[in-house]
Amino acid sequence: MTDLALPVRIRARHHEGPSALKVGAWLAAALAILPLLSIVWLALTRPASAALPLSAIGRYAANTALLGGLTATAVIVLGTTAAWLVVMYRFPGRNLFSWALALPLAAPAFVLAYAYADLFDVAGPIRSTLRGLTGQDFGFLDMRSLVGAALVLSMAFYPYVYLTARAAFVSQSVCALEAGRTLGCTPWTCFTRVALPLARPAIAAGAALALMEVFADYGAVNFLGVQTLTTGVVRAWSAYGAPGSAARLSLMLLVAAGLLLWIERSGRQGQAYGASSARWRPLEPVALTGKAGLAAAAYCLALISFGLLIPAGWLGYRALSALPEADRLLHAALVSFGLAATGAMVTVGLAGLIAFGAQNGQWAKRIASLGYATPGAVMAVGLLAPASLVWRSLGLNPNLGLGIGLALGVLVLAYSARLMASALGPIEAGLARVTPAMGRAARTLGETEAGALRRIHIPIAKGALWTAALLVFVDVMKELPATLILRPFNFDTLAVLADRYASDERLAQAAWPSLMIVLAACLPIILLSRQIMRSRPGDQSL
Amino acid sequence: MSRLSFLLTIALSVTALAACSPAKQAASNAGPNAGPSAGEINLYTARHYDADLQLYAAFTKATGIKVNRLEMQPDQLIERTKAEGEASPADVILMADAGALWRAEAAGLFQPLSTPTLAARIPLALRDPKGQWWGFSRRARVIAYDKAAVKPEEVAHYDQIAGPRFKGKVCVRSSDNVYNLSLMAALIEHWGEPKALIWAKGVVANMARAPQGGDIDQIRAVEAGACQIALTNTYYYLRLAASPDASDKAAAARVGLSFPEQDGVGTHVNISGGGLAAHAPNKAAAIKFLEFLASDEAQAILAGANHEYPAVEGLPSPPDVAAYSKFKPDPMPVTIYGQRQAQAQGVYDKAGWR
Repeated sequence: MTDLALPVRIRARHHEGPSALKVGAWLAAALAILPLLSIVWLALTRPASAALPLSAIGRYAANTALLGGLTATAVIVLGTTAAWLVVMYRFPGRNLFSWALALPLAAPAFVLAYAYADLFDVAGPIRSTLRGLTGQDFGFLDMRSLVGAALVLSMAFYPYVYLTARAAFVSQSVCALEAGRTLGCTPWTCFTRVALPLARPAIAAGAALALMEVFADYGAVNFLGVQTLTTGVVRAWSAYGAPGSAARLSLMLLVAAGLLLWIERSGRQGQAYGASSARWRPLEPVALTGKAGLAAAAYCLALISFGLLIPAGWLGYRALSALPEADRLLHAALVSFGLAATGAMVTVGLAGLIAFGAQNGQWAKRIASLGYATPGAVMAVGLLAPASLVWRSLGLNPNLGLGIGLALGVLVLAYSARLMASALGPIEAGLARVTPAMGRAARTLGETEAGALRRIHIPIAKGALWTAALLVFVDVMKELPATLILRPFNFDTLAVLADRYASDERLAQAAWPSLMIVLAACLPIILLSRQIMRSRPGDQSL
Repeated sequence: MSRLSFLLTIALSVTALAACSPAKQAASNAGPNAGPSAGEINLYTARHYDADLQLYAAFTKATGIKVNRLEMQPDQLIERTKAEGEASPADVILMADAGALWRAEAAGLFQPLSTPTLAARIPLALRDPKGQWWGFSRRARVIAYDKAAVKPEEVAHYDQIAGPRFKGKVCVRSSDNVYNLSLMAALIEHWGEPKALIWAKGVVANMARAPQGGDIDQIRAVEAGACQIALTNTYYYLRLAASPDASDKAAAARVGLSFPEQDGVGTHVNISGGGLAAHAPNKAAAIKFLEFLASDEAQAILAGANHEYPAVEGLPSPPDVAAYSKFKPDPMPVTIYGQRQAQAQGVYDKAGWR
């Protein structure tokens, strides 16, 4: 915030008081933190288990920190490099890669874990073959380890950084880079001293999303046998039978998430990232020829292969040995799609309300984002208390008619509470391109608050709204714990089916719904990935 | 923005479509039967076996009663049912482990029930004395071993897993797995906590690799030579042996099963079972379902399709299950597993068993 903003803000408050938009923003934020309040309440009122040793908690926390550190480093390096290559250079396959690099988002982390654990299992194809050739077992290849889990999660989550970094690089005007060049920058120093600092909020937002996913992930780390705070939460709950302990461990995760958000925010303070010049010219990519071009293409291809093609291919091969139950799969696909689309619309609507309405009120945004790092299983318990009030007071059977609608409503709100950060991140990054001066200019020219929103903010942030909807849609397709615990009867999603088969140790059957999630999520990702590509600030075609 | 609203319309209509289809099924299945929703039961189950679908289909075929099911992890199932309180639509609650049954009982999820059929068919040791829950199948936790490297007498007791003979040769799964928790609860009951902790530390010292995967993964690891012995439930081994897949069959052929403690207290046995939900709205149909689970037909499905041991005594098992049925089970009341579950996890965590 610049000094100039101050008097204007004060005057606006004098004249208008809290606007409807602001009230809506706070209501939406309140909705998102409802389950979190419920967790705090659980932590305070339910007894903790005396049998849970402190040393175990320390181990969970250390593993979580290590896993988070490794994964965050990997996704930042991998995602930013890929985004920079695709935006700044022309090389074989660049147009394809620029949207295909987001494709690994289509695969849930637990699906990657199924595939990689199986591929690199001691009895799996790779180590069996190597053992046959050399007589040695290559035990270090086992993906069921902390490093293995970090690799799998990095492959699953690098697209978060890739997408946000690419959006930031694309929106940077060539003018800033040209200014850099006239001041003597080489391509490398232009990247490190101009482009990278300008893109830092976006990269940080992407990395924060990825890290929160890592914290909240249960399916993949549990399958890979790594003990984190999140598996500790589930263990405290299921094995120790102590929801109080589980809630307290979740509070540790919430504090970590809060810290993460605070670091991300304070990194930005005092710096204005909006383009200072009104002139915007698209970047002209530099052609990479020969070996450099091939290397860039190989890099992008490797990311897509390890993130999607290899694991999906292996699951496809495994699926061949099981007959699919077509009607169950089809019904589950319909349920998944409906829930994901509804969840995306509702969540983006609420997140938009928060982002637009509380542009100066950072608290609403920060608090509403916390749910993202809450383990889904605990979030679901947090949601049970409010849901239970509804169920009991209305006495509605969640199996029939209105009851089903109600149960679905609760489920969709659960998605919103859990995935608000996923939508808020890109929307905020998009709004960051609206300089405070633009908004003030509109108001000076007689626009109302809503009018400025409609004619200035939304058109500029439109690409970001699409990114947000895409992320939430795909996240809901992949969501498991909240769906498991809040769904009505006979309402299995694809993720529920996959989990059910996997916990019965039937990988071949689990491969079918897993691959269907990937396929169903691929199409929206391709569509929207291309959509973001085209929506540049100076572009009039949309 | 018009595209956004178009998508919203599609999304809502698809959800409505998906929401309507199960409801329609329920309504049409209720059919002309007398009374409101007399034609269905609502089943909350923590059993995750594919074979269970055959059970439900057989029940619906025999009685015309539709089964609405909701599958969840035991802890989630307990919390959800508690949250629903008296408004809960659950009629029957099933669990795959005695410890979970005990916790559900402690949470007040069941109501006492006794019918002549159930009382006559389910042995006393496999049910709650007050009739809150009934065991419908049994499984044993046994030692799988590499037949080429290990002699059966070397794995005749659970404490041998922790002995020096198997240094670096043991594969196990994570300690929070319910089957391992129930085993530890039984060991604590027999040995006392100090000896059980020494045992757990011995197993940790013997591990060939960090605990990982499921029971089938342990059997495959023995076959691949990563370790010589592993703990497994009987039905997972039998499933591999019955698999049409050649590599599954090969794994089962190389691996033998040892039923420990045959010269002593007997092999650790767990049960899967369930009971009548506390606020069951369809009580009569729910009782029919529970009695059906004890019927010859349902017991045959549990043994045939999921390779579990029938709870009802004197029923013929399929040959592959029967071949592993002649062992001496530990007669310990299964309620111990639930009572000592948190203590068991504490012992594992102290021993560093992941």
